[in-house]
Amino acid sequence: MSDYSPATTASPVTLMRVALRLLWRDWRGGELRLLLLAMVMAVTSVSGIALFTDRLERALLQESATMLAADRVLSGRQMPPREWLDEATQRGLMTAEVQAFASMVFSDQANLLVAAKAVSEAYPLRGELRVADQPFGAAYADNAGPARGEVWVESRVLPSLGLEMGDTLYLGDGEFVVSRVLVQEPDRQQGGMMDNAGPRVLMNLDDVPSTNVIQPGSRVTYRYLFAGELAELDVYADWVREQSAGDFRLRDVRDESQEVSDALARGESFLLLGSLFAVLLAGIAIALTARRYSERHFDYAAILKTLGCTSNQISAIYFGILLSLLLIAVVVGSVLGWLVHEGILLLLQSVIPIALPEASFTPFWLGALTAFICLFAFAMPPLLALKHTSPLRVLRKDLADAPLSTSLPYIFGIAGALVLILWYSQDVLISIILVGSVAGVALVLSAMSYLLLRTGSAAGMRAGSAWMLAMSAVRRRRRQSVLQVLVFSLTIMSLLTLALLRTDLINDWQAQLPEDTPNHFMMNISSNQIAGMQSFLQENEVDTNPFYPMVAAGLLTVNGAPAPHPWDNDDDASGRTTMTERAGAEQPDDAASGSDTGESERPQRVENRQVTWTAQLPPDNEVVAGNWWGEDNRPGLVSVERDYAERIGVTLGDELVFRVNEQEITAVVDNMRTVRWDNMQPNFFFIFSPGTLDHLGATYLSTLLLQGEEKLLLNDLLRQFPTIVVLEVDALIEQIQSIIAQVSSAIELIAALVLVAGALVLLSCVNATLDERFRENAILRTLGAGRKLIMTSLLIEFAFIGLLAGVIATLGAELSLYYLQSEVFQQTFSLHYWVWIAGPLAGTVIIAALGFAATRKVVSSSPLSVLRQLSA
Amino acid sequence: MTAMIEARHLTKQVATSEGQLIILNDISLRIEAAEAVAIVGVSGSGKSTLLGLMAGLDSASAGDMFLDGQNLSTMDEEERAQLRGRSVGFVFQSFQLLPSLTALENVMLPIELKNDKDARRKAASLLQRVGLESRLQHYPNQLSGGEQQRVAIARAFASEAKILFADEPTGNLDAATGAKVIDLLFSLNAEFGTTLVLVTHDDRLAQRCGRLVRLVAGEITEDSAVETSGVENGTAGEASTAGDAAHV
Repeated sequence: MSDYSPATTASPVTLMRVALRLLWRDWRGGELRLLLLAMVMAVTSVSGIALFTDRLERALLQESATMLAADRVLSGRQMPPREWLDEATQRGLMTAEVQAFASMVFSDQANLLVAAKAVSEAYPLRGELRVADQPFGAAYADNAGPARGEVWVESRVLPSLGLEMGDTLYLGDGEFVVSRVLVQEPDRQQGGMMDNAGPRVLMNLDDVPSTNVIQPGSRVTYRYLFAGELAELDVYADWVREQSAGDFRLRDVRDESQEVSDALARGESFLLLGSLFAVLLAGIAIALTARRYSERHFDYAAILKTLGCTSNQISAIYFGILLSLLLIAVVVGSVLGWLVHEGILLLLQSVIPIALPEASFTPFWLGALTAFICLFAFAMPPLLALKHTSPLRVLRKDLADAPLSTSLPYIFGIAGALVLILWYSQDVLISIILVGSVAGVALVLSAMSYLLLRTGSAAGMRAGSAWMLAMSAVRRRRRQSVLQVLVFSLTIMSLLTLALLRTDLINDWQAQLPEDTPNHFMMNISSNQIAGMQSFLQENEVDTNPFYPMVAAGLLTVNGAPAPHPWDNDDDASGRTTMTERAGAEQPDDAASGSDTGESERPQRVENRQVTWTAQLPPDNEVVAGNWWGEDNRPGLVSVERDYAERIGVTLGDELVFRVNEQEITAVVDNMRTVRWDNMQPNFFFIFSPGTLDHLGATYLSTLLLQGEEKLLLNDLLRQFPTIVVLEVDALIEQIQSIIAQVSSAIELIAALVLVAGALVLLSCVNATLDERFRENAILRTLGAGRKLIMTSLLIEFAFIGLLAGVIATLGAELSLYYLQSEVFQQTFSLHYWVWIAGPLAGTVIIAALGFAATRKVVSSSPLSVLRQLSA
Repeated sequence: MTAMIEARHLTKQVATSEGQLIILNDISLRIEAAEAVAIVGVSGSGKSTLLGLMAGLDSASAGDMFLDGQNLSTMDEEERAQLRGRSVGFVFQSFQLLPSLTALENVMLPIELKNDKDARRKAASLLQRVGLESRLQHYPNQLSGGEQQRVAIARAFASEAKILFADEPTGNLDAATGAKVIDLLFSLNAEFGTTLVLVTHDDRLAQRCGRLVRLVAGEITEDSAVETSGVENGTAGEASTAGDAAHV
């Protein structure tokens, strides 16, 4: 350093003015368009996707909330303190109250066990009650609920009791007028035994005392329903947890419906992955275009330095340019993002029947922040490298592009990508998978490109041929070729991964609930009713499904020791209930077992599960340890669901003692199964070999698919078999199918957005080598090479790079799919054979076409003008 | 009196695969204010390197370089850049205009970098002075070589530099255009009283300077006064005006 005192230097305002002028001129000259486009693309995809998912997620949650008739539910066998309702009201939440109990109802001719439900006036807080004026008649919404002295009943109650509309029904000491047929209540599936004891009778909560049916010791499920602002609900949930020391817990729909929760979670993961890909691709495009821009600005930087600009001032100028670009990109991208999401909503109007909540401002911040990170990680390094330009470059042009060859930009880029991935996924696993497959691709690539350069030279045919020219071009631009293959393969890999994942995910969902999924459960069937029911159904041309015997069993001991409670070490106190249990005659039920053990010793909690026995392995079950007993079965064996077995620490050969109908039954664990829980079909944690439980008096369960008019058959069926219980899950299945359809549409759209981002990357990558191609081909043409030769050689060059990228991309896509599907999406992975042809083929064709289209002007402009322009 | 430019035992060497290559060897040179010095030599004699060192575009391997009283050897690149902005103007063989800026904006640039609010007017006046008043809004690629070089000259004088370095200013121009550009350069140089260092391999052009320094293989072999500056090449000479130069 010296004692030199600087002269007046340019102020920030001056530098910004210079920056803006350069920006404006470069924009007019077209140099910045791709860079801006890439940044706009990043903002658009992030804000668009975020806006869409933000609103869709809230909408889905809202719609799902209708399955609870509320946003949150508090339930218990005892009535939770009433002050809690007042507290909620004070906090601005809406509340309602429900009491459910099993009871006998009477008409003058008959009686029937029903699931009675008494509701307060505000019920339901979410969703709607649908009623009809005649049994199985046309439904309409009526949220008023039954008035005092009236009941609404499910259709099958009327034939069972021989009643008509307007007749009187007796419940306990109360008399009620049947005023409506209840077709649908939003939370029909939520209860256990109390809600499934029989057909529903809905009554006014204020009528309950007059019936005198609830006595000390009665089995009643009490539910408090809450709805309101999400944040307020969370605060209230915490408050409840504190008050009850964990005995009560506010649950939302994710706790209640595994199917919806899985669909939402997978959908979200996919959308997230999609936007991540879109942003990373946009990031690569930004890096490439920024690099090209800065390469073109080395001379600028050198000239500015001769004019007295310091390195920092040059940085300031280009920082100003980038910041202005960022600003434009954020504004334009946010507007486009808004339009994109509005467009999607317009497209999906038919599948999103509910009004969407207003979008929050978060997606826009997310877009802006993403653009900022992209800018810093991908665009800034090459532009800041400009400050290292030697001013001597004005005298000696051969002091070429040294600053950019350092690894700094790559380190920045990789770090930026990592930050983005981690930030978006909030998931170390996804991040590792993504980074791992990228690293894998890069590794394969290095080896491949080495081979490429060797085979390229070996395959050189006669001099002057297009092949020769193309291969020498690939070799000459070795660094660039490798970079291009890398970028192309990453892009194609992203697109392939997403496309395949999308197909698999949607296929999987469709397989989960196919069109012919049975939508009615029949329960409480006695063994001597089976034959009669089968013939009734056959007469009416309805397909029959297997009849599963069902009995409640509580696990007492494992190898002589008391059985651990399966959900003891689990936050999710409700555990998993099978569809069978939700539909079944008895909810998994914690009962204290054994005699009075005193205050100090807690009684063993025994969980009752609905169990079955069968010789055939039920569909969607897969034996993962041991062997299915098949035909040569013997009594005394049990098959356990794998995860449940892990929870209670049971392995093959263990001896389990169950209590079934007050008798103790011993069975040896013979095999373990995995079960597809989300298929809405009868599923069981324990399946016994035939002969083990047969003597213990089971009832039977079967399923039916009834559509449209066929539902009217239920009237006759129930008249003939009045003791059976029919549970309608058709509305639930439709609801889940509709949610899945929405999520699928969203996924299609994200895939399309990523495709656009990918195209942008390909274009930027081709453009990155445009200058050099111009120069080379102009020289070749002045030396007499024909247009056709050059065009053919360009085509071969790009096709070759495309082919290589396609092969690597296919490999990378299958690899990352393997991990994503097995680790993130809980799907089974299988190779996609057609991709091994389609991937490389698509790579070759797309890259060749794109490259050829972009560089066509290389041959169509006159060599003189090219040389002149480039030397200027 | 302090010299405007002074080189003391200046050496420049670069590492090559065959060892150290000496480009300039022990150069000592003193140039006074308002002098016009031609540095001549064949290609590879080291004259452009010497110009780069004198202008502070590059740093020497050994020796000291003083510019406008400041020792460049002790300055970092930032300080050298500031010194260039304050004291130095350039005219290059390849013009080195910023292609995305108009003629006017190119000339405004150094004035603006000095925080001068009057940049536009001053730049327009200079462009008028070099005969390009009708070309203010043209981009470099819309101008002929001669016109581009005149924009570059206007830009060089725009920063009110004390020293002007010209590196083969006519190298990319035909003889007639080159001569007119040189006339303009000398005329403005005389008008602004600038110290001029002109690197050329053209002896006839060198003759127009007051002093000639000849480099051979990195060493000064001749340093002599020239007596008949500006007359013998028979161009429009000092009489060159903006009007004459308008269509170079």
